Amino acid sequence: MSAIVVIEGLEKRYGNVAVFANVSLEVSAGEFVAIVGDSGVGKSTLLNCMAGLDHWDAGSLHVQAADLGSMRDEQLALWRRKSVGFVFQAFHVLPHLDVAQNIGLPLLLLGQKPVQIKPRVDAMLQAVGLEGLSARLPQQLSGGQLQRVAIARALVHAPALVLADEPTGNLDPSTAEKVMDALIAQTKSSGAALVLVTHSQTAAARADRVLLLTAHGIAATTHA
Amino acid sequence: MLDLLRSFSWQELRQHPWRYAAALICIALGVALAFSVQLINASALAEFSSALQAVQGQPDTSVRNANRAMNLDEAVFENIAGQEGVALASPILELSTYALSASGKKVAVRVVGVDALSVAQISPALLPRSKEGAERFAIFAPRQAFLNGAAMQANGDAPLRIVNGSRIEILQIAGRIAAPGAPTIVMDLAAMQDAFGLVGQLSRIDLRLNPGASDSRLNLPAGLALAQPDDANERTDQLSRAYRVNMTVLSFVALFTGAFLVYSVLTLAVAKRGQQLALLGVLGLTARQRLQLVLIEATVLGLVGAALGIALGAALAALGLRALGGDLGGGYFLGAVPALQWSWAAALIYGALGWLAAVVGAWWPARAAEALPLAQTLKGLGAVHSVNTKPWLALFLIALGAVLAMAPPVFGMPIAAYFAVGLLLVGGMGLLPFGVSLLYDQLAPRVAAHALPMLAVERARRMREVAVVAVSGVVAALSLGVALTVMVSSFRVSVSSWLDTMLPAPLYARLTSSTQTAQGLYFPSDMLQRLGNLPDVERAEGLRLRNLSVGTALPDVQLIARPITLRDAAKVLPLVGGIYASPTPDAIPLFVSEALVQLHGAVPGEIYDQKWLLAGVLTAQSATELIASKNPPVFYIAGVWRDYVRQFGSVVIDNTRYVELSGDERINDIAIWPRSESNLKDLQSQVRQLFSQDAALANLVEFASSAEIRSISLKMFDRSFAVTYWLQAVAIAIGLFGIATSFSAQVLARRKEFGLLAHLGLTREQILRVVALEGAAWTAIGAIAGCLLGLLVSLVLIHVVNPQSFRWTMDMSIPWLRLASLAAAVMIAGTVTAWLAGRAAASRDAVLAVKEDW
Repeated sequence: MSAIVVIEGLEKRYGNVAVFANVSLEVSAGEFVAIVGDSGVGKSTLLNCMAGLDHWDAGSLHVQAADLGSMRDEQLALWRRKSVGFVFQAFHVLPHLDVAQNIGLPLLLLGQKPVQIKPRVDAMLQAVGLEGLSARLPQQLSGGQLQRVAIARALVHAPALVLADEPTGNLDPSTAEKVMDALIAQTKSSGAALVLVTHSQTAAARADRVLLLTAHGIAATTHA
Repeated sequence: MLDLLRSFSWQELRQHPWRYAAALICIALGVALAFSVQLINASALAEFSSALQAVQGQPDTSVRNANRAMNLDEAVFENIAGQEGVALASPILELSTYALSASGKKVAVRVVGVDALSVAQISPALLPRSKEGAERFAIFAPRQAFLNGAAMQANGDAPLRIVNGSRIEILQIAGRIAAPGAPTIVMDLAAMQDAFGLVGQLSRIDLRLNPGASDSRLNLPAGLALAQPDDANERTDQLSRAYRVNMTVLSFVALFTGAFLVYSVLTLAVAKRGQQLALLGVLGLTARQRLQLVLIEATVLGLVGAALGIALGAALAALGLRALGGDLGGGYFLGAVPALQWSWAAALIYGALGWLAAVVGAWWPARAAEALPLAQTLKGLGAVHSVNTKPWLALFLIALGAVLAMAPPVFGMPIAAYFAVGLLLVGGMGLLPFGVSLLYDQLAPRVAAHALPMLAVERARRMREVAVVAVSGVVAALSLGVALTVMVSSFRVSVSSWLDTMLPAPLYARLTSSTQTAQGLYFPSDMLQRLGNLPDVERAEGLRLRNLSVGTALPDVQLIARPITLRDAAKVLPLVGGIYASPTPDAIPLFVSEALVQLHGAVPGEIYDQKWLLAGVLTAQSATELIASKNPPVFYIAGVWRDYVRQFGSVVIDNTRYVELSGDERINDIAIWPRSESNLKDLQSQVRQLFSQDAALANLVEFASSAEIRSISLKMFDRSFAVTYWLQAVAIAIGLFGIATSFSAQVLARRKEFGLLAHLGLTREQILRVVALEGAAWTAIGAIAGCLLGLLVSLVLIHVVNPQSFRWTMDMSIPWLRLASLAAAVMIAGTVTAWLAGRAAASRDAVLAVKEDW
């Protein structure tokens, strides 16, 4: 399998304080990698670096062979639009768009026409178990439903890389399991690489690989 | 609650001092403007009243000619003074005219003839006091005058030169009188009658009655009437009342906009502090206490704003009295600059209005704080934005406004119409969410394929209450701006066309613009004939102006005698409606102004048999025989005309008929048609010479071409209404500030949303474009609503407020281009404001933004 993400010797500092250093890893297409570690060790920061939303101080980071370190903000935004899907702990859906509009937004941003968007959104709604809720506003949904909207939105444009930051952190165990089912199933079926940052042992246990991040780099790797 | 205010509210104020300062300034400005107008007018009326009281003294009652503008026959004095119940009778003769200073400058003066023996007890301020060294009985000597302070200041010690018709009377200064106010000159009654050719005439007889006696038992000869001292005050109050009320209402525009700003600021403060309020709710703050907290915040804001407004208003009033006089430039009161009359009652009332505006503005956000869903708000989901209320209340308010707009005036003022304007504005804004829905529900499918417009339109559509909060200030300001623009434009177009009709001659000559001083300053009767003989004059027409007293409560009606026939009436007067034929063969046609129809029941085409009219048109000399005859003259209303000068009514009668009835051949204004080859300067000096050989007197003749009068009139018009443009600009600036405040707060509250958009691949420029598009979408609805509401309000202003206030109508004229520019300017300003507000938030770190809790 070809590597989607290639990180070599990545280091991130805030002033004189090192968040992490010497991080190297590769994530292949279709692979599900979980990153665990103590709070404050930089898991989310590493995720943001992979999305081109944060800068690093040393090392290199390539996604789909693109060197993110050499790209300008504008280029990063356009690249992110096409290649990355996000799922956050706090759902983050736009409150004034209905479910279908929220899910279809990445396709709209990529310039697709509503006639092309609708079947894809319908398929995603079905895939995440939200059929019949397309016209609902976010305020009318539960936390679990909101997170499934976020998953559908993250995958609707078939990105090469899906980044999920504590996607089950705000959910009860039963809902969390269903959300993880949806996330993993949809990522696998699209062939995207999934990088999950989590404190949940249950969620991490479902990954192909679990990486323990410390201030000095990846300390341990566990294969499923 | 005090602790909460100190911690919770004070912190919010410290974080956004400018936002609160703007609301505070608006409240203060509204209170200050309204309070200063009140203080200025109260001061002017008090000054007028005290000056009047000093001159009139304190009689129990006065006897006058039934036509107050006419004198009465001295022969009745013995009859009145000898009646049972009369303790003292003081005969008075008054004349308003001009004094000429040594430099030839004319000063309006009131000459009063008194009986020195009786005046001391009723009007001590008029008691003549001889100069040191003057003869003891100087008061009784001919041509001796006693001046008050203002007259002394204007004239100095030189002999007085008083204009009497086309002559100058020279009087010697014999001493002083104590009367305050405008220039006043006192003479012995007989000496004044003799000097001014008024032998046998009196203006009034002031009476002091015996204790327990009533004036109702007085037996007055025919043609005489009693007048109470308070009547003059009431008439003066009436004269400027409409002007004052309109100025006050204009100043309430600032207060109204201030209330919207308080609404906007506090709504956003509640929205922004939603989670904090919800947390306080979870910790035990009841819903009622949350409502009270917001209302107390508004109360503090309102009280501080009101206190500032009262202080500012008093300062503005002092400045206004000095700069503009007691009538704010309205031209109603002449004389000295009044002293400021402070009133605690007025200060409390206007201060309370400022507080009320703040509390009314805070009511809805306070209710929102009360109804906050705690759990949902804490989770960051907030309340579901949907229109729960029906439009019926808003529609009801609009319907009520329409009904009130049709109500008659209250106390002669368009009070109901002002309430109608308020209801239309509030009802119109109540319909705003439905307007947003109507417009953007149609627009949404059309922009669904374009990400950025879709995001903007969907937010405006789905967050319509938030959109309404943001644009309510703009809607209020723009609707008032549009209404005032349409009203002023309509009035200007109507005045311009009115001037075209009223000024047919190329040149006009006049001696005085005041009808009061016209009593003593006029062209002689043969002036027209002599003018006609001049080779440079093709034609000349005279105009006689006289005041007609209509009774005690209302100000005088002006009589205008000029050449007019049924055939040419439509050419020489701006008629409203047609010309009516006489209902009886001998009825004399009158053309009355719209005010006469409204105030004095004139009906076009019908006989008009008001006694005051008959008594007014006929002079004392002609009255007795004509009224006593079996066939007294009968008048009918041949037409109604638009008079933009005399808001209490005017009557135009053909001058030939007027001279026949009254014997009065005096002329006040002359319209001159010079021959085309004539030199206007030469013509003017010829006219002056015809009037008087005395250079000082001849120079009193003023000339103006119709183009000059037109230009001066329109300049005066524009200057009078300049204040409305300033108010519009201030109101719109405040409305835009509301948008800026609203967008800043919302953009800050939405930084997580922008962070998400950055994660989804939107660049910073694209995010700013979304915010700017939202600004455009919101201000577009604000501009549309503001224009529609403004046009509705302008209908009320033009067709109800103006006719009820000033008793004249105007044709509606909508300056489409100016309105479109105004709306476009507001839209552009709103969009730019939103973009600027968005810049700050969009520059924040997207990564940090999404990590913050909702």
